[in-house]
Amino acid sequence: MKKWLCAAVAAIVGVVSLLSFGACGKGNGKIKVSIGMWPDPTLTKDVEMYQKWEEAFERDYPQYDIVGDRYEYSADTIMAKATSKQLPTVFQTYFTEPQKLIENGWVADITDQLNELGWLDKMDVDMRAAVSDSAGRCYGVPRDGYGMGLFLNCAMLYDVGVIDKDADGNYKLHDDEGNPLYPTTFDEIREVSERIVESYDNTYGLVILSANNNGGWQFTNMAWNFGCAAMQVRGADGKYKANLNDAGAVKALEWIQDMANDGLIYPDASLTYVDWYSKIGSKNVAMAFCGNDNIMMPVTTFNFNKDDIAFVPMPTGDGQSRYSLYGGTPFVFSSYATEEQIKGALLFLKYMGRSPETDEISVSAIEVGHQTAQAKAMPIIQTIRPWTNAEFLEIANRLDKQYTNVNPYYYADFFDSLEQMKRPEEPYYCQDMYKLLDNAIQNVLSNPGTANCKSLLDTANSQFQSNYLNKL
Amino acid sequence: MKKEKLYDRSSVSYKAKRLFKRNWSGWLLMLPGLLLFLFFVWAPLAQNVILSFNETKGFESVGFNNFDNYIRVFNDPMFTKALANTFKYILWSIIIGFLVPIFLGLLLSEVVHFKPFFRLGIYFPSIVSGIAVVIMWSYLFDPNPGAVLNQLLTALGIPVSQFLSNPSLTIPLIVVTMTWRGAGGTVLVYLSALQNIDNSQYEAARMDGAGALSRVLHVTLPHIMPTIRMLFILQIISVFQVFYEPLVMTSGGPDGASISLLLLSYRYAFESFDAGASAATGVILAVIIIILTVIYLRISMPKKDKVSNKWRRYAEKVKK
Repeated sequence: MKKWLCAAVAAIVGVVSLLSFGACGKGNGKIKVSIGMWPDPTLTKDVEMYQKWEEAFERDYPQYDIVGDRYEYSADTIMAKATSKQLPTVFQTYFTEPQKLIENGWVADITDQLNELGWLDKMDVDMRAAVSDSAGRCYGVPRDGYGMGLFLNCAMLYDVGVIDKDADGNYKLHDDEGNPLYPTTFDEIREVSERIVESYDNTYGLVILSANNNGGWQFTNMAWNFGCAAMQVRGADGKYKANLNDAGAVKALEWIQDMANDGLIYPDASLTYVDWYSKIGSKNVAMAFCGNDNIMMPVTTFNFNKDDIAFVPMPTGDGQSRYSLYGGTPFVFSSYATEEQIKGALLFLKYMGRSPETDEISVSAIEVGHQTAQAKAMPIIQTIRPWTNAEFLEIANRLDKQYTNVNPYYYADFFDSLEQMKRPEEPYYCQDMYKLLDNAIQNVLSNPGTANCKSLLDTANSQFQSNYLNKL
Repeated sequence: MKKEKLYDRSSVSYKAKRLFKRNWSGWLLMLPGLLLFLFFVWAPLAQNVILSFNETKGFESVGFNNFDNYIRVFNDPMFTKALANTFKYILWSIIIGFLVPIFLGLLLSEVVHFKPFFRLGIYFPSIVSGIAVVIMWSYLFDPNPGAVLNQLLTALGIPVSQFLSNPSLTIPLIVVTMTWRGAGGTVLVYLSALQNIDNSQYEAARMDGAGALSRVLHVTLPHIMPTIRMLFILQIISVFQVFYEPLVMTSGGPDGASISLLLLSYRYAFESFDAGASAATGVILAVIIIILTVIYLRISMPKKDKVSNKWRRYAEKVKK
């Protein structure tokens, strides 16, 4: 009996070990390219779109095997993914991240491949700088850019008499002399918020984000527009000094404090990015600051009526400073991927319509993207493209216009002014700076009656200087 | 000479061989478990201590840096907040999380009708996913006057609350959430301890004229004291490890008002990519837990027959 038992145990251990080792190293002899941008299986229309691109690519390049390996970039997962060598061949991140990824050696230098493809010279200069190191080597392909602006719920603003309607029932954002009716200053945002709060129950004028670095991200743009020259200033000795407690930044924080004190902004001190569109979508607020690349979020997640959306330039605080924080999304490539895999991933971008190419494949890919967005009833608006070659821009803009399903007038002021207003994010440790600013905003939102804005920003400033900028 | 050494029965290698030979199938059965423990628990534990004394790049050590990581952590103002908060978590968890299950256990042991129903009702939150629970409570604690709890407060004529956005309420409310989810399991442990008490002792106390409170104080509590003591230590250890509740509900805010040591350690590792500081925070946390546990055990360790002595004294008192 004992012998039988021993034999059975040994057999089970052996079989389990064999199965464990046997599971490793399965392959079909093709070059595997894993795509981190692959959509979630619940987004069936997006999955179909990716499958169409995959079929077309594998037909033309049979040596490649495209594999969906969804990875939504976040600062708190990248280290674990990179250290365990589980990053997909290509994935998306933000413009604030490449420097950190390059420094840690997690993304691949693709300068030579881009040169070979002839894409490097066609890249927007500002966007190229965001994905390059100090020696000019390039580590990513920008997907698109965004500028921060003011999202308006036109239905609410019309109800409280801020904007008007024309004879066709379209919202009028300007008076007869062409002056904007929507808020163009922070004082006007306050006035509109007061009207909203008076007219609706449990509804606020604006939502101010305050957690997961989103508060600092929004606040930086607000501080610039209140007259802060820069949050990081280069001194005469060439070293960077923190300037988080600049007079403009203090005024911006005091403006938030006054709004909170008077109950005009959503009363929560830990709001993350998802909250701007959940509060807009559930009609708890009438206005929000966001990037133009995410305008569709209230529509796709909360069935917000896309015809009630207008997106206008960031307001000014001091009457002179008008900036729009300019960021974006680049594709980056795992440093563990082989040259062949990176080449395959770059070629796949062409089949997604994300390259500067203008051949039939690229045009058809952009069209498939627009058709999918249309099928999902997403608002299709102008995109800030990363490529500067005239032929590509002509085709892309033509397709944007052809497929648009919103009134371009509601977005015209934003896009018309973006070129003058756009301003890239601060140069160093941006996310860490945003985190410290988050703390100051949270303190103001949770103690609006007593918080000392200057002192809070002094603390953030000294911490940013000693913990981060001094490392440079 | 060689033969003599082979049969040296006092040698360690002989004893080890004998132990293995006598029970080799048992060792074989334990092997996968031991390997898993080695790989997933002991090795990372040792590596964490090593990392805490090293400069790191990712999770890799790039050189010994003495106590630099510890100095950096101690100089971080957020560490002071996290340390103070951790003790606040403990205080509130003793007030809310420790007493509530004892009270519920006593109440449940007295219930005559629908006992299984109440038992299930109390245990039910424990089977819900932790993340789902904290998200649900985050919605309930929404500071909008139109949100559920604020509507309730308004209906009761109480002013609306900022809930989690109010720094003085953040930790108690997070502890309420933790207790709502975790109390069920603890109540069942108390219930089983209560059911082990011999009924004749209650009857004797009743015959001696002891009231309900007296019975609880002099019969029930002394009998369940070992369970209370054990769960008290476990409670403190688990509160030291509070992590995902503040992460999901407040991100450690407002302005660090709810950040815990473990959340700070997570931030060092995964937001600042500073695995050395993260490991140092983990070691500091472990040292604090060990010290507190030893102190507590020293203070509260009962003499072997403390319970029976107490009971004997009570019986003598009643006799007189």
